[in-house]
Parts: sequence; C-alpha cells; structure tokens
Amino acid sequence: MSRITVVSLVVICACAGGDEPRVSTPKDGDGTPHAIVTNYPLEYFAQRIGGGIVQVEFPMAGDGDPAFWQPNADAILRMQSADVILTNGATYEKWIDQVSLPMRRVINTSASFTERYLEVVGTVTHTHGPEGDHSHEGTAFTTWLDPGLAALQAETIAEAFSGRWPANASAFQDNLTALRADLEQLDQDLRSALTAMRGVPLLASHPVYQYLASRYALDLESVTWEPEEMPSERAWRAFRDLLARHPARWMIWEAEPMPEIRARLRELDVRPLMFAPLGNRPTDGDYIAGMNANVRRLGAVAAQ
Amino acid sequence: MQGSLYLAWRYLRHHWIKSTILVASITLIIFLPLGVRVLILQSARHLTARAEATPLLVGMRGSPLELVLNSLYFGTGSPEALPYSDVDALDSMGLALPIPLYTRFRAQGYPIVGTSLDYFAFRDLTVSRGGMFAMLGECVLGTRVAEQMGLGPGDAVISSPESVFDIAGVYPLKMRVAGVLAFSDSPDDDAIFVDLKTAWVIGGFGHGHQDLAEASAASGVLRRDSTSITANAAVVQYNEIMPDNIASFHFHGDVGSFPVTAIIAVPPDQRSSTILRGRFEESSGAAQIVVPSDVMDELLGTVLTVQTFVLAAVVVLGMGTLATAGLVFGLSLRVRQRELMTMTKIGASPASIRWLVVSEMVVVSAAGVALAFLLTALTASFGPPVIRAVFL
Repeated sequence: MSRITVVSLVVICACAGGDEPRVSTPKDGDGTPHAIVTNYPLEYFAQRIGGGIVQVEFPMAGDGDPAFWQPNADAILRMQSADVILTNGATYEKWIDQVSLPMRRVINTSASFTERYLEVVGTVTHTHGPEGDHSHEGTAFTTWLDPGLAALQAETIAEAFSGRWPANASAFQDNLTALRADLEQLDQDLRSALTAMRGVPLLASHPVYQYLASRYALDLESVTWEPEEMPSERAWRAFRDLLARHPARWMIWEAEPMPEIRARLRELDVRPLMFAPLGNRPTDGDYIAGMNANVRRLGAVAAQ
Repeated sequence: MQGSLYLAWRYLRHHWIKSTILVASITLIIFLPLGVRVLILQSARHLTARAEATPLLVGMRGSPLELVLNSLYFGTGSPEALPYSDVDALDSMGLALPIPLYTRFRAQGYPIVGTSLDYFAFRDLTVSRGGMFAMLGECVLGTRVAEQMGLGPGDAVISSPESVFDIAGVYPLKMRVAGVLAFSDSPDDDAIFVDLKTAWVIGGFGHGHQDLAEASAASGVLRRDSTSITANAAVVQYNEIMPDNIASFHFHGDVGSFPVTAIIAVPPDQRSSTILRGRFEESSGAAQIVVPSDVMDELLGTVLTVQTFVLAAVVVLGMGTLATAGLVFGLSLRVRQRELMTMTKIGASPASIRWLVVSEMVVVSAAGVALAFLLTALTASFGPPVIRAVFL
C-alpha cells in the first residue's frame, strides 16, 4: 500500500472510529465460582475438590454416553460463561473442534499424561483431497478407569481451581488429599480383586476398558456390542473365531445384557460380568460407590 | 453610530451579490485552515485511540503499517499469514494474552474476522441482539453490517469466493447469524466476526462431508479396503454447517500450521510488554512485533507534515483573497465618490462617512468570521459521520 494512498485515506479511515465510552459486558452470574465439566467422573472429582466453594455443572441431560454427546448452542453458551471448563481430553470431547470456547479457560485434565494415552485400534480411515490418508480414529478415552490416572486428573483440577481462586487454594488441596486417599484405596481394592484374573483371557463388550486392562495387566479383547441390541449372526461367527484364539470365560459389560444375549453367551460357556464405566451419573450412589460395586462384582467372580 | 450601521446594512443588502461574495470569501479564508485542522485532529485522536487500545501486534515481517491497518481497521490487502503455532508459542511465554486474527475473507464486501472469544472482552464489545457465536459456522455481525444488509439473528450470510474464476478455490460458506453486536462506533461495526475455526473452514482447512462408510456415499468412494476409504472428487461436501451435519466437520493437517494474519498481544503490565518486545527483536524468526500506537504516530507525523503544507497554501490563498477584498472595498469607494459627495452636501460629517465605510467592512467581516466558526463547529460535530456516510 503506497504511503500517499495511506495518507490520503487516513482521515476517511479515522472517521470510522470514535471515542465514545462503551458499555462493558456485565459478568454473567452472581460471582460464584462456576466450573463446567464434560462427564460424570470430572463432575465428581470437581465437586469433591471444589467442596461447595465451586459450583460444578455437568450440562448434558439424559442418561446417554457423554463421550458421544453433541452439545447444542445453549450448552456452549453456558460453557462460555463459566470460569473453568474441565474436559477429559484424550479425544473424549470430539465436538470441541466444532464449537467456540474461551480456550484459556478450557482445562484438559489428562494433559499431564498424554504420553500414557492408549490408542484405539481397528478404526476406519479415509482419504480424499490432496491431504492424503487421514483417520477419524481416536485415543482410548476412559482414563478415569485407571485410578492412578484419575488421581492425576484430580490434581489438574485442583491446580486449575487454585490458580483461578487462589484464596481457596488450601481448601482445594485438603479436598484433593481426601479424594486421592479414596482413589488409592480404590486402586488397592481393584488390584486385589483383579489379581486372580491377571493373565486370564477376558472379553469386553465395548472397547472402553483399555486403561483398566493396562493398569492391572488384564488379557482383554473387545468387541463392539450393545447390551440392549442382539448382535448379528455374522458378529456371533466372528465372536466364535475370537473365542477360538482367545478362550475367555468372562465377558465384561457396561450394563446388563439382554436375556437373549446372555442365553447365547451361556451356550458358548461365556458369562457376563458387569463393570459400569460411570461416564454418566449412576442412578444411585456416586463414583466411588459405583466403582466399589464394580470391585464387589469382580471379587465375586475372582472367588469362583 | 446606529445611523451609520443602518446605512451600512441597507447598502450591503442593496448590493447583496457583492456582499455575499465578500462574506463567502472571508468565511472560506478562515474556515479552510480551521476546518482542516479540526478534522485532522479528530481523525488523529480516533486513530490513536484505537491504536493505543491495542498494546502489541504480532505479524509476519513486512510493512508494519499494512499489518496495523489490516488488523485494526480490517482494510483490504491481507498481510502474509503466520502459523497458528505462533499463537501457542506466544501463550506459552506467559507474557501476554494472544488474540489471533484471520482477516482474509469477505462477505458482500464486509470483512470476515476470524478470532477468539477473547477479542470481544478485549474490545469491550457486547451482543445487543441474539447471542455470541457458539457453534462452528455461526457469526456475529457488527451493527452497521446488520443494518445495511438487513440481517438479524437466525438469518444467514454467505462468504464471498475469492475469485469467480478459481473453480478449485475456496467454497462459499453459508453462516448462521447468531447475534448482532452493540454499536461501538469503531471498525468493529463494519465487520462480520466468526470463530477462528469457522474462518479456517472458509479457507478450506476443514470441511464436512457425507459419511463415506454409508451406502449413500458409494458414488463418492474411489477405493475401499479393510482399514481405509479413499474418496473421489464427487464426495458431497457441506457448504452450510447445521446441527445434523456439524459432527462430520473436521480439520486436516496440523492445526499449528493453520494461518492467522495477526496476533494481538495483551501483556498484563509494562514489564511483560518490554520483555516480549525484546524477545522478538532478538529473534531472527519470520515474525515481527509492533506497537500500533508508534506505527500510527509515524503515519500521523506524515499526515501533519502534509497538513502544514496545506495550511501554508491556505494562508497564502487567504492573503490573496484578503487583498482582493481590500481592492473590492477600495474600488467600491471610488465608484461611490458621487454618493459620498452627496452625503457631504446634505450635511454628513467626514467622520460619519468614515464610520459608514468602516461599518460596512465590520459587518461583512463579522458575518464572514461568524459563518466560518459555525462551519468549524459543524465540522467538529458532524464531520466524521458525514465522511463515513459519503465514503465508507
């Protein structure tokens, strides 16, 4: 742009400006610390650490899987007004590239252990345009099923809260200590319950137990079945093939499978074992209670 | 004295053409330098205010002026792009809040500004109708864009292709208007704001298309094996982002390599600002950091130099006009010799006649000065809006 052009235009450009005072945006809400989370484990950890100081909101309605939640504009506007947005990370929030969030307020709670992310294998990639092969496959995201990783996520939450509200940092730290103790106890209980299963072939109805299997050295293979949907005959044939090379006698389910599935599994001498991943709120109890229920079921199986 | 004033007034009214020309000349002599000065001072103040409200600006090395004018006033002529990784790098320094800007695209002549939500808090911009953009493909309009395009929340605006002859170029994106910004009397009123990611979709760095695993997309599949699907050019890409297809939108490549045209850096204090500038000045990288107020001061220095020349020309012109006015008065006295002799014969004293002539000059001069000051006041009040309405 030539200098003469600029000089001749400057008055016109400047006339588009003004110096009238502007009205500032009023701060949303009543000033109460407000955090928004994207799944139930984060809600539980944030509530324990926030200890009533921080209002924790989990905006997903209903009982679906938050991993496949597609938030609407209202939910995103709620997030925009929050002081802190806690995400699980590990590609859990697949919608995050499709929304507008204040990224400096978004805290990826699994960012401290990205090198421990586990990959989901067997997903389909596609190619188009000049970019070459690319994949929509993600990373295994149920990080909270490993109590050690869950504790790291809780530490990140406490750090975020302390940074945002330093006056309450000591309270957050005390609450974190209590939560960490509960998670360590859970870790010990899971280790005890799963000791008998170490090296024993196991199956899972869904590829969501990678971190559990990794922490406790489980020999776990997964299919992609829904508890309320009868698999096709082709899926059953593939299942038999899988059993032939991976002779599991127990199959872990996110929820109780329908009776027809149970009957077919019984024919193959495979028994279902319920282990709730707790991605969404349990109907009763909380995260620790739900995980303890999982431990009891595992313990009962191990005792057989 | 009252009689002299009355006679002068009657004389000027009788010779109204000559009087009007004299008054207009005096008005212009005074108004031109005053008006130009007022307009330039106002413009300088407005320019400086926007520049001073923008502490630091990071862009590719090149013309600082182009970088500042594009980033502050969204003018045409987009500067060379920086990679988005520079935004992350700036953030990781912890010395300033980085606010990315991507201003490459337009919609019906209005600039589309891709940025982050921090921009609105930084500029104290509020939404007066509707809401802030929340989803990919949404936009908020500046007040004047909304008025002139007759759009409001729920309507749509389509980005303009960069070239009608570039059939392989950027696809137009139909964007839903989420809200309209409150009037801010700034260039933000003339812009369309979108999330940076929406701007990248317009730029072709991200897109949404049919699910290639579905049977309906068979015609768009070039090759399929157990692990990958290769699409051909027939695959249907979406040019509007809606709730039922938003999940299919994704980006290809490393986000860190995606473009931004500038980064507004907002340091928390002067110390951070100084350290940040020092780091850029020591670096031999491709990016530069500029202080917009310094760049604008340099520009305004040039403007004020031009103003000095203009004022000098006006003063010379004014002196010539004053000399002409004096000549007009002198000649009119000679023409009026008989009239003045008649006044002497009917008993008017020489002093009364001098008062009469002086009164005529005073009335003409006073009218010219008053009119010049009135025009200057009007310029101060209405100059910027009038220029904006005529030229912008």
